[in-house]
Amino acid sequence: MFRFASLGYAVLLAAVYRADYSRPDWAWAVIAVMTAWTVVTTIAYARPDRRTPLLLSADLAVTVGLLLSTAVLQYPHAMRTGVMPVTAIWVAGPVLAWAVQYGWRAGAAAALIVAGCDFLLRSGALAVALNGLVLLLLAGVIVGHLARLAAEVEAERQHVVQVEAASRERERLARDIHDSVLQVLALVQRRGAEAGGAAAELGRLAGQQEAALRALVGGGPAGSGSGDVDLRALVLPVQSERVTVSVPAQAVLLEREAADELASAIRAALDNVRRHCGERARAWVLVEDELGMVTVTIRDDGPGIRDGRLAEATTAGRLGVSHSICGRLRDLGGSAAISSVPGEGTEVELRLPRGAGVPVARSPGTG
Amino acid sequence: MVQNAPIRVMVVDDHPMWRDAVARDLTEAGYDVVASAADGAQALRITGATRPDVVVLDLQLPDMSGVEVTRGLRAAHPAVRVLVLSASGEQQDVLDAVKAGAVGYLLKSAARPEFLDAVRRTADGDTVFTPGLAALVLGEFRRLAAAPAGEGAGSPRLTERETEILRMVATGRSYKQIATRLVLSHRTVQNHVQNTLGKLHLHNRVELVRYAIEHGLAGEPE
Repeated sequence: MFRFASLGYAVLLAAVYRADYSRPDWAWAVIAVMTAWTVVTTIAYARPDRRTPLLLSADLAVTVGLLLSTAVLQYPHAMRTGVMPVTAIWVAGPVLAWAVQYGWRAGAAAALIVAGCDFLLRSGALAVALNGLVLLLLAGVIVGHLARLAAEVEAERQHVVQVEAASRERERLARDIHDSVLQVLALVQRRGAEAGGAAAELGRLAGQQEAALRALVGGGPAGSGSGDVDLRALVLPVQSERVTVSVPAQAVLLEREAADELASAIRAALDNVRRHCGERARAWVLVEDELGMVTVTIRDDGPGIRDGRLAEATTAGRLGVSHSICGRLRDLGGSAAISSVPGEGTEVELRLPRGAGVPVARSPGTG
Repeated sequence: MVQNAPIRVMVVDDHPMWRDAVARDLTEAGYDVVASAADGAQALRITGATRPDVVVLDLQLPDMSGVEVTRGLRAAHPAVRVLVLSASGEQQDVLDAVKAGAVGYLLKSAARPEFLDAVRRTADGDTVFTPGLAALVLGEFRRLAAAPAGEGAGSPRLTERETEILRMVATGRSYKQIATRLVLSHRTVQNHVQNTLGKLHLHNRVELVRYAIEHGLAGEPE
């Protein structure tokens, strides 16, 4: 691009200053060669694998040759008074090529070579030659530097894109593998339970692992930019063979502290189920997200709590329920209610108003 | 256990091991496994010829999502009932499949009697709700209710009774327990649960049509 523009400039100059040329016809011949070489280099440089040192050297040599040819076809005094050589700024072409290909040092070296020849031509007119030298050097160094910079940025971008693609692929693989493993575990669990004996034990173990893995896969990252966390990611890991956790499809966002406290309260309630109803009791955890209110319900299929026993235990200060569950929720500005229906186990309902925040005034919620 | 015409079932799963196990369980229990497919395209292709009553569908298929298969099946064969059987229980996938027309959802780790019962109930026209599905449906109605006024207009709502029943299902109670607790018949509880799904299906179809009209996809009636 630069070459064509500068070629046009050279043609224009040749037309304007033809009086200064001792042999105008030769000047046109030089311009013809320049045109031909411009076409050749444009085609040659188009493919990166052809940009060899040989081509670049040839480019430089041809350009310098054409520059020197000016010596025989221009009046000496014209040179000294600052008239451009026939080649004009076209000589900067190879300087830029070297700079782009090999960096700013190569660009500077090429600039020095071209400027040196220019200096030979204008022996005596130091100021004019220096002028050209400085311009060429600047072009070589700056373009070289920018080209390197652009190449680095491009390489970095490529790298980032690769890393991203790789991590996406890993994620996809992980999902696939998880799915396959879950399938096998589920199958072993089912078949084992039916076969009985030692196989039943295997099946039970497979079931435990299946629940643990499913909780892990379902959990995902809890964090989000704003410091809020997805309560689901904290609650799903309590899933097990005996504990079923049911959540909405969308993230249940809470402030980190509130979510942590709520998750602790849920774990405390489940500990309670184990302690009072035995290892074999089943439990269900339901997470609901309503406008302005997060509700978590924990139910077990144990014998339930006899009327009055809860209050009795609370006054006696024995029951973990009242402190670790009700206390936590009260501190968060929420509430906890415990109810029990004979034959339906015990149900703990934790309600946390959204935006209640930890330090905000406590609102006595009614369960 | 199944008299007269046996229930016709198609099993769609890309894991051969699992497909065979499910098919064997069904056959042993007296169901007629009329077809099995390893991917969604195959499932859609052979449904017409094999005429299953129930399609047992895995959500993770190699070629298309379970949601797309469900939608395709429901569009081409409205009488076919889709029971989703999934290993991972990805919440959004399950919800989308149910919105697209699946009438039941079960985790693969469910015990064999539970699974066989679910297929039978699906064939009978019942919905098969796990606590997980009940929570997803509850969550979806709350999401619709919370949507901005313009969008939310005309979106379905749950009645108080329906909400109450779904919450009881989501906390692990059986229909029988719920019926006893609320002094309702088993059938009434079932109807309430089924209605919640019906509202979602209807809403989903309305949404699809609205989307099609807004985006100029609906052709002029000829």
